[in-house]
Amino acid sequence: MTEAAIKGNGKKRTIFICQGTGCVSGKSLEITEALKKSVAEQGISGVNVDFTGCHGFCEQGPVAIVEPEGIFYTHVTVADMPEIVESHFKNGKPVERLFYKDPASGQAIPYHKDIKFYSMQQRIILRNCGRINPERIEDYLATGGYEALKKVLKEMTPKQVIEELKRSGLRGRGGAGFSTGQKWEFCHNAPGDQKYMICNADEGDPGAFMDRSTMEGDPLTVIEGMTIAAYAIGASEGYIYIRAEYPLAVKRVRLALKLAEEKGFLGNKILGSNFSFRIHVKEGAGAFVCGEETALMASIEGKRGMPRSRPPFPATSGLWGKPTTINNVKSLATVPVIIARGADWYASTGTEKSKGTCVFALTGKIANCGLVEVPMGIQLRKIIMEIGGGIPGGKKFKAVQTGGPSGGCLPENYLDQPVDYESLTAAGSMMGSGGMVVMDEETCMVDVARYFLSFTQAESCGKCVPCRVGTKQMLDVLIRICGGEGRPEDITLLQEMGNNIKAGSLCALGQTAPNPVLTTLRYFRDEYEAHINEKRCPAMVCTALVRYYILPDKCMACGICARNCPVEAITGAKRMVHVIDQEKCVKCGTCLEVCPEKFSAITKVSGKELDVPREPTPIRVEKPKVQAVT
Amino acid sequence: MEAITIVLNGVPVSGFPGTSILDLARESGVYIPTLCYDENLVSVGACRLCLVEDERNGALLASCVAPISPGMVIKTNSPRVVEHRKKILKLLLASHPDTCLVCDKGNRCHLRKLAAEMGIGLVEYQKIPQPDVIEELNPFIERDLSKCVMCGKCIRADQELVVEGAIDYMNRGTAVRPATLNDVPLEKSECTFCGTCVAVCPTGAIMEKNRTYTGTAMTTVTTVCPYCGCGCTVLLGIKDGKIIYTRPAPTSPVNRGTLCARGSYGLDFVHSPDRLKSPLIKVDGRFKETTWEEALSVVADRFMQIKKADGADALGVFGASKCTNEENYLLQRFTRSVLGTNNIDNGSRLYNAASRVGLGTTLGYTGTTGSLETLERSSVIFVIGADPEISAPAISFAIKRAVKFKGAQLIVIDPRRTPLTQFAALWLRPRPGTDIALLNGLAKLIIDEKRMDEEYVTRMTDNFAAWAKSLSNYTLARVEDLTGIRVKDLQAAARLLAGAEEGSIVYGNGITQQPESAGAVIAIANLAMLTGNAGRRGGIFALERENNAHGACDMGALPDFLPGYQDLSDVQARKRLEERWHCSLSSRPGLTAMEMIQAAEAGVVKGMFIIGENPMVAFPQPSRVKEALSKLEFIVVADMFLTEMAGLASVVLPAASFAEKEGTFTNFAGIIQRVQKALEPVGISLPDSEIIMRLARASGSPMPFSSLQQVREEIERIVPFYHPAAAAHARTGDPDLSDVDDTMPGNRRLYHGLFPRGFGRFVPVEYTPIIDEKTNGHRFTLMVGSSRYRFGADGRSSRSARLKQFSPGDYLEISAVDAGGLGVNGVSRVKVVSAHGELLTYLKINDSLPRGLLYMPLSYSGGVYELFPAVLSAGTKAPALKTCAVRLERITEDGEAK
Repeated sequence: MTEAAIKGNGKKRTIFICQGTGCVSGKSLEITEALKKSVAEQGISGVNVDFTGCHGFCEQGPVAIVEPEGIFYTHVTVADMPEIVESHFKNGKPVERLFYKDPASGQAIPYHKDIKFYSMQQRIILRNCGRINPERIEDYLATGGYEALKKVLKEMTPKQVIEELKRSGLRGRGGAGFSTGQKWEFCHNAPGDQKYMICNADEGDPGAFMDRSTMEGDPLTVIEGMTIAAYAIGASEGYIYIRAEYPLAVKRVRLALKLAEEKGFLGNKILGSNFSFRIHVKEGAGAFVCGEETALMASIEGKRGMPRSRPPFPATSGLWGKPTTINNVKSLATVPVIIARGADWYASTGTEKSKGTCVFALTGKIANCGLVEVPMGIQLRKIIMEIGGGIPGGKKFKAVQTGGPSGGCLPENYLDQPVDYESLTAAGSMMGSGGMVVMDEETCMVDVARYFLSFTQAESCGKCVPCRVGTKQMLDVLIRICGGEGRPEDITLLQEMGNNIKAGSLCALGQTAPNPVLTTLRYFRDEYEAHINEKRCPAMVCTALVRYYILPDKCMACGICARNCPVEAITGAKRMVHVIDQEKCVKCGTCLEVCPEKFSAITKVSGKELDVPREPTPIRVEKPKVQAVT
Repeated sequence: MEAITIVLNGVPVSGFPGTSILDLARESGVYIPTLCYDENLVSVGACRLCLVEDERNGALLASCVAPISPGMVIKTNSPRVVEHRKKILKLLLASHPDTCLVCDKGNRCHLRKLAAEMGIGLVEYQKIPQPDVIEELNPFIERDLSKCVMCGKCIRADQELVVEGAIDYMNRGTAVRPATLNDVPLEKSECTFCGTCVAVCPTGAIMEKNRTYTGTAMTTVTTVCPYCGCGCTVLLGIKDGKIIYTRPAPTSPVNRGTLCARGSYGLDFVHSPDRLKSPLIKVDGRFKETTWEEALSVVADRFMQIKKADGADALGVFGASKCTNEENYLLQRFTRSVLGTNNIDNGSRLYNAASRVGLGTTLGYTGTTGSLETLERSSVIFVIGADPEISAPAISFAIKRAVKFKGAQLIVIDPRRTPLTQFAALWLRPRPGTDIALLNGLAKLIIDEKRMDEEYVTRMTDNFAAWAKSLSNYTLARVEDLTGIRVKDLQAAARLLAGAEEGSIVYGNGITQQPESAGAVIAIANLAMLTGNAGRRGGIFALERENNAHGACDMGALPDFLPGYQDLSDVQARKRLEERWHCSLSSRPGLTAMEMIQAAEAGVVKGMFIIGENPMVAFPQPSRVKEALSKLEFIVVADMFLTEMAGLASVVLPAASFAEKEGTFTNFAGIIQRVQKALEPVGISLPDSEIIMRLARASGSPMPFSSLQQVREEIERIVPFYHPAAAAHARTGDPDLSDVDDTMPGNRRLYHGLFPRGFGRFVPVEYTPIIDEKTNGHRFTLMVGSSRYRFGADGRSSRSARLKQFSPGDYLEISAVDAGGLGVNGVSRVKVVSAHGELLTYLKINDSLPRGLLYMPLSYSGGVYELFPAVLSAGTKAPALKTCAVRLERITEDGEAK
C-alpha cells in the first residue's frame, strides 16, 4: 500500500509521523524532530523519518506508521522516540505498549491493516491521506498521480470526460448529491468564453474535517481533479475557496499549487497540450453560509457572502456572471481515480443510485472518533458499532445525526438503513457534507435540537425572513422548553414553523436548518412531551429541569460537598445529614462529582421532587456493635 | 426571443424568457403582495411574501426572483401559499415593535398595509426584540432600526441607484442590519443624505427627521425639483397646506427613484418665515406693505416714464432661469412688446452661455445632445471640469451606475479630487485653465494615431481639414508642458475615448466659467465629432446650474435671440412675432446681464426689472454691482425673499414658489416637465406669470391670455421643439417627428443622425494662457465650486432650516505642502487677497489638492466673488468665475503677517 511512498524514499524503512492538524496539535512536529534527533544520536542508518497528512484515526493521535512492515503506533509522545528507535529500529523489537488496543478485547494490534477501524473502510477519496508526504509532489506522482490528467489531455475530449463522469455515477459530495457529470455538462454547454472552476473547501460544519484532512493530506489529488474538471467545462481559471481557519490546509494547498505549476501540471499549455489553467486560493472569513455556492461566489467577488436565488444557476451565470462549476473537495478528489480506473470500476461500489464511497467525520459519543470512508449503502450500524467501535462506557446508543448542523437525528431502528442520499433524505436527515455525530442515552434530544438550531440561527445570513426570524422563533421556543417553560402548543408550533421555513427559505441553509428539530420531533417526541408536560428531562441534561438531592440515609456528613459547592447552597454540620437549598442551587453537579463513591449520597432527578428533610438532621449511622468484654 | 407561456391562476399568459413571475403577474393584473421588491432595484427574494406555488411539484417560488419557465402552473393564492405568506408576515410582526399608533410612517407603512390586507392583528409568536435605536445628530435622516424588516431596499438603493456605498449589511442571524462602515452614525459616514433610502424604506425604520408627529400626507403632488438642471421629478406630500415630505418619483426617467440632499430636504424654504407676503414699496428709504394695484401701477408708471424720457433701451430686464417656461416666455414678450427693448437676459448667462455659443457654433444646437439613458449606456464617459456629484447629482448617479454595473470606463479630468475620481479608470489633473490645450492635444493625437471615426467625420461634418491643420501646434510634448499631464496619460485617454463604442463627454462649470469658456466648449464638440460621439452614439452632456436654464433660453429670455433661438436679425421671424403680438420689435440686440449693470453704472440704463435673481451675490465684484445698481432711477424686484437685491429696489413684488404654481421646466437634456401646484401662495404673493400679465395690463398693453394653457399653446406654435410631438420625442427618444415642421432650425431636441444644419462644423480654437497675475505675488490659484448642501446664490438653501443647519461655515482648502510652506495649519484664519478684492476665512487642509491650488466651496457667507474680476469673455459676455490668482496672508491674534 505504501510502496509508492517507499519508492519516493529510496525503498528504505520509513517511519511516517502524522502531521494532520489533530496530530500537530498533539505535538507531532516536536515528535518528528525528536525522532530525527534520536535516529541521529543512536547512529541508525537505513531508516527515514518522514511525515504524512491525516490518517483519519484522530482519536489515537498522534500516530505514526513504520513501513514497509506497517506497524502502527498510537498516542506517541516526544519521550517515546528514543525507545522506538532503540527497540524497534536497533533491536527489531516493536514497542508493544504503543500499539493500538482493541476497545472491546483490550488486545494490542500491531499492524495497521488488522485494525478494524481501517480494515472495514474502503478508501478512494482518502486513498493517499496518511500514506504520502503531502508536501512532496514525487510522492503523489509515485502513487499514480497525474496519470489521469495525462490520459485526459492525451486521449479524451472534454465530452468524453463528462461522459465518463456521468457513467461513474459520481454525485456531489458537498451535500446536495447532484450528478457531477451533469453539472459539468451544463457548464460545458453554457455559452461563454470565460468560465470558472471553483473548489468549495469552505468546510464549516462543527466537528467535520474531511475536506480539511483531504487538503492537508493529499492536496494534489484535489488540484488534479480540478484541472480535469476545468478541462471538461472549458475553464481557464479556478479558485479554491478555503476557510482561513485551516492554516495548514491553506499552506499545503498553496505549496501544492506551486509544485504542480513547476512540474507543468498547471499554468500555460499544460503537459504540452493547448489547455491552460490557473488556480487562485481565496481564503474565506469564516461564515458558515459561504459554503453555499452562490454566497461563496459573492464572497470571491469581494461582496458580502449572501446567497442569491437560483436560477440562474452557476453553470450559466456564476462567478462574475460567467458560467461556473463548483465542486466539493471530496468530489474533486474522486475524479482522478474515476478517470484512471474507469467509470465501471467506480460504479461497482455503492448502491444503484449512490455510487462510490463517502467520507464521514465520526464524532460524539463513540469510541473511535475520526475520519472513515465507506462504500455507499453501508449500514449505519457498521459505521458506528464496528468501525466506530461502539459507544464507550457501556452506554446505550440513542441517536445519530448525519449531514452537519442541518442534518436530522435518526434513532436506533434506522441503524440498519443503508447510507445513501435517498435513504437518509427519506428518513428526514441528509448526506450533507459528511458530519456524523453519535449520541448516547445521556444526550437530551431537545437540547441537541436547540444546540444545532442555535448554530444555524447564528449563521443565517439574515437575508430572508423565514431563516432569519423563523429559526429565531423556533430557537426561542426550544430554549423555553429546555428551561421548563414549554407549552403544549409548542410542538405544533415547532412543526408548522419548521415546515414553513423549509419550504419558504431562499437557500439550503434555511431549507435544512429545521431538520434537527423536525427529526427529533418525529423520533423523540416523547422527550419533548416529557419536557413540556412533566417538566422532566429524561436524559437529565437540561439544568432547569433537574434537581440534586442528598439522600439522608446515605450521607455520612463528610462535608466534602458543602466545601466544594460554589454557591454555598449546601448546609450541614458534624454528624448531620447535609441538605441542598434548592433555591440557591445552580445545578452545576459539583456535589455529585465530589461525593465519595463509597457513599454515593447525591442523586440527580428530573421531573419530580424528593421528599427529603429541608434542614440538616442527625445521620442515621448504625453504630458498630461493641462487644462487652468480660 | 420566443415567448414562454405559463398558466397563471388557471389562465395561460405569455412573457419573454427572463421575465419574473411577479412581473408577468403584474402585467396580467394579478396582485401578489411584496415587501422587498422595488421596480428600480435588483430583486433579491428576501421577504418571501411574494411566494407562489408551482402546482406541478408543489414548489414554493419567490415570484420576484423566479423567472418563468415553460409549463409552469402557478397559483398565486392557493391556501398553502396564503398560509405561508401569513406566517412570514407574522414572523415580521413578531420582530417589529408595537408602536404603530405613534409611528410617523402611519398609513404609508407597507408592513401595516400588508397586515391589514391579510387580516393579521394579533401575533401568537414570541416577541423578538430588535437592535437599539441609533441616535443620529444630522438634521435629515433618523434611523430606528427596531422597525427594520431587513428588506435590504436601503442598501440596494444606496449601492445600485446612487452608488454611494455608505451602507451595507452587518452581522448575521437576527443581529443583521443595515449599517455604515464600522457602524458609525450617518453624519460621520460616507452618507450624502440623498434621501433615496428614506424613500424606499417600507416601514418607519428610516425616516426624514421631524420634530413632531406630522401624520400622513393628505395629498401627494408630482412636480419638479427647483434646484439644479437635472430636473428630478419629486413627490410632495402635503398636509394642512404644508409640504411634510419630499420623495423622488420612482418612475421618472431622469432620477429613477433617486434624489439628493437638496431635493429631499431643501424644499422647506417654501415655508420660511422670510417669505414675502405682500408687495412692498419704498417710502423715505423704508419698505411699507401695499396692495398689488398700487404696486403695479407705480411700476407701470415709472417704466413708461423712463421709456418716454430715455427710450426703451434705458430699461433692462433680468429674468430667472428658475422660473417656468411660461413665465420666461411672458417676460420676454412683455420686455419686447410692452417695454419695447431687447435688454433681457437670464441667470444662466453666468453659467451656461458658453454652451449656447460653443455648441451652437459647432453642432448648431445649444445643449446636451442625449438623454440620461444614453449616458448610462456609454462605454466610455469623459468628464471634464465637472463635479456632478455635487452640482448635478442625478447625472453623477447615472455615471457611477454605468461604471459600476455596465462596465463603462470613466475618464475624469479635474485638477481636484472629486467623488467621481475613485470610479475613474483614468484621472488627469491638468493645470487650471489649460483645457483647450488638453482637448486640442487629444484631438491631434487621435488624428495622428488614425483613431478618428472617419466615416462619421466624412459624412456628418465639414471643415475638418482646416481644423486638423490648426492643431499642428499641439504636439504631445507641448501639451504635456502646458497641462502638466504626462504623455502616457494623454495617450491612454485619447485611445480610450477614440476606441469607445459609445463615448459621452460631460462638462460643467469648470469649462463654462473659465475665461475661454466658449472656446473650450468648441474644443469639446470638436473632440466629440472627431470620435463620432456627437448625437449618433454617446453624446455631449452640458451640466446646467439651474432648473430651467435651458427653458429660459429656449423661451427667448436672451438679448440676441427671439423665442426658439430665432435670430433677431431675421426679418421673417420678427414679422411673424410682430403680427402675433401686435407690436413692432426692435432688431437691435439688447444688453446682457453684466452689460446692463455696466450700463447702469454709466447711467445709460435707468430702470430695471429683476425677477428671482440676486446679482449682488452672484456677480463678480458685488460691491461694485451694488454701487452701479444704486445709480438706477427705479428698480423692481420680484422675489420670494427680501434678498440683498430686493433691499435696493423701489418696489418689491412677492413671488410664489415653485410649489405654488403651475407651468413647465425644461431640464438639462431638454425634457419638458410639468410643474404642478401643491400649495396656495403665501400671503397675497402671486406666480411670476400672473405678476407679468398684471403688469402688462397696468402698462396698458394687456396680454391675450386667460390661462397658462393659452400661453403654452402660443409657445408650442412659436418654439417648434416645444410642440407636443417634439417634446414627447425628447422624453422617449422616439424619432417619429412627422407632425413637426422639419424645415425650421433647431426643431429637434435630440439628435438622431442629423445635425440641425445638416453638418457639424469643426471650428479651430487656440489655447491662450490666463494672464499671469502671479507676478504680483498672487502665487495661488483659487478655484471655487458648488457645495452639496447649498445652492446657487443661497437665496433658497440658506432659508432651508435643515440644509442651513448642516452646512459648515465657509472655509478655504489648501494642500498640506502649501500650508506647511506658509506656516499655517487647519485652524488658521487667513486673508485671501486678489488683484480685485479680499476676504477673511479659515483654512482647511486637503491633501488631495495639488500644490498651488486653493479651493473654496461657493455660497456660504458669500463674498468670494469680490475676488474675481468683472471682465467679460468676448464670445459669451459672461464673467469668468471659476478661478482667480490670489495670495494668502496669515492673520495673527492682533495683526497680520505674511
